[in-house]
Amino acid sequence: MSLLKVENISKSFKTLQVLQNVSVEVQPGERHVIIGPNGAGKTTLFNCITNVLSIDSGTVYLEGQEISHLPSRKLVHLGMSRTFQKNNLFGNLTVEENLHLAVTSTKSYRYQIFNALLKHEDLKKDTDEVLEQWGISSRRNVKVNFLSYGEQRLLEVLLAMAAKPKLLLLDEPTSGMSPAETIQTAEMIKKLPRSVSILIIEHDMEVVFSIADKITVLHHGEVILSGTPEEVRNNEQVRQIYFGGGAKAHA
Amino acid sequence: MKKNLLIMFLLLIAAAALPFIVSEYGINLAAEICIMAIFAMSLGLIMGYAGMVSLGHAAFFGIGSYTVTILGSHLSNFYLLILGSIVLSGLVALITGAIFIRTSKFYFLMITLAFGQLLFALTWQLKDLTGGADGMKISSTMNLGFGDIVSPLGIYFVMAGAAILVYIFLRFFVHSPAGKIIKGVMENESRMKALGYDPRIYKLLAYSVSGALAGFSGSLYGYFNLFVSPDLTNWMFSGQVMIMVIIGGVGTLIGPAIGAGLFIFLQNFISTYTERWPLIMGLLLVILVIVGKGGIIHWFALLRSKIFYRRSQKRMEYAQNHAQKEEVTN
Repeated sequence: MSLLKVENISKSFKTLQVLQNVSVEVQPGERHVIIGPNGAGKTTLFNCITNVLSIDSGTVYLEGQEISHLPSRKLVHLGMSRTFQKNNLFGNLTVEENLHLAVTSTKSYRYQIFNALLKHEDLKKDTDEVLEQWGISSRRNVKVNFLSYGEQRLLEVLLAMAAKPKLLLLDEPTSGMSPAETIQTAEMIKKLPRSVSILIIEHDMEVVFSIADKITVLHHGEVILSGTPEEVRNNEQVRQIYFGGGAKAHA
Repeated sequence: MKKNLLIMFLLLIAAAALPFIVSEYGINLAAEICIMAIFAMSLGLIMGYAGMVSLGHAAFFGIGSYTVTILGSHLSNFYLLILGSIVLSGLVALITGAIFIRTSKFYFLMITLAFGQLLFALTWQLKDLTGGADGMKISSTMNLGFGDIVSPLGIYFVMAGAAILVYIFLRFFVHSPAGKIIKGVMENESRMKALGYDPRIYKLLAYSVSGALAGFSGSLYGYFNLFVSPDLTNWMFSGQVMIMVIIGGVGTLIGPAIGAGLFIFLQNFISTYTERWPLIMGLLLVILVIVGKGGIIHWFALLRSKIFYRRSQKRMEYAQNHAQKEEVTN
């Protein structure tokens, strides 16, 4: 059974049809990349999957359970986390405090009004684990506003990872990054365990082809093609739309 | 942490020693300051930790005082009356909050203001229950279980004890998981939703706790003043407590309490010299707000960093060395 199944969803903003009968399937453990020119409806697709925007028609299933109308906050508890195209962090809090908030969201003590948060050992353990795994322990007490842009992008992903999701939706994790940071981020995504499936929107073709198991091409709100990187690279229509004619995409 | 404990201890001694230094008038003033400190801390909680600026907080203060007054004519148990005020004002906050938290920023300000004025009008209109514009006398006296407390000294100690208890409670609250999450909601509500939280639950929790504490301070004020009038629920009073929070320092627990102390002290001090005290108070407040941007509490922080200058300099050096080391390893 596929982990995420998006079936024929459509979305329009007044007269503008942004998504038209879009279907996407993500298998367990898969790295599924969504590509498409600007305005193809990629982020809208994410917003529809996570029900930040309500869909006009169609259905979304997570592990066979319909989630089309569940509020976005409930999805985290079903194992689906997302990141944002624009950094959406807690700028006035430190890196550690940001992670505390992300980790606590799945803990049973999140409604407690006594017993200091920091007294919960498992919280400290989970947080330290993330900090050490990604080599940012030395930055733990830095306010997020003072982090470099690349570090903020990394934290954006780590916040979503902290809830230990089965499915991770990454919205352009490398947007606005320097080439060096982009490479680092791609490495980081490759390092994520296979127990996590990833649906990812990405523009950088090198990153796309280095991580993708499957690619879905979106254009004007419609799925042009969904297939292996090889199929996508050799597809004439995709090349026409996406790469602007004859030029062959390179990995 | 040890330094904090020391400061707490010194404050405690100061609070205990105060009545032996000042006159009876001073003791009364100190008791009033303690009550207002609780009220200001309750508003400071939602303003500084949940980002909800309310201009109708006096409503809960009023509910607290009127509960003690009206219920007090039927029963006399101090604990029951106080508990009744806390529960009732907390409940009203819970019910009204469920509607109010759907709005934010200016709209929240306006709707809380409207609610406060609604209650003000009610206390004015329900003459049989509240005494209307004439106000009401409180018949019961404070009795903690070992005789009536009527001396200013005794009343002061009760109020000071209550203020300290509320401070400790709030300290626990803001450090608890829910407290931290409330702050997270203030910082970035949309991300909190994406992380799987329901912001409304936490906002409502903060608002209810704040309302209950405001009611608590109101009930204490009833025992202190022995007289209640509709003015206690007026928006002017809500504005005053907001000023206390702002001059004390939004975003801290002790800041609003300090602000309350300064406000009450200045108000009384200046009014002994001139009837035009609001004029001078207004001027002073304008200066305070302009000069002391983050509130008085930040002056203390500044003072502390001056006193501990050398230590902080050492820490800076250490941090710099550390940063350099990191660069080398990279």
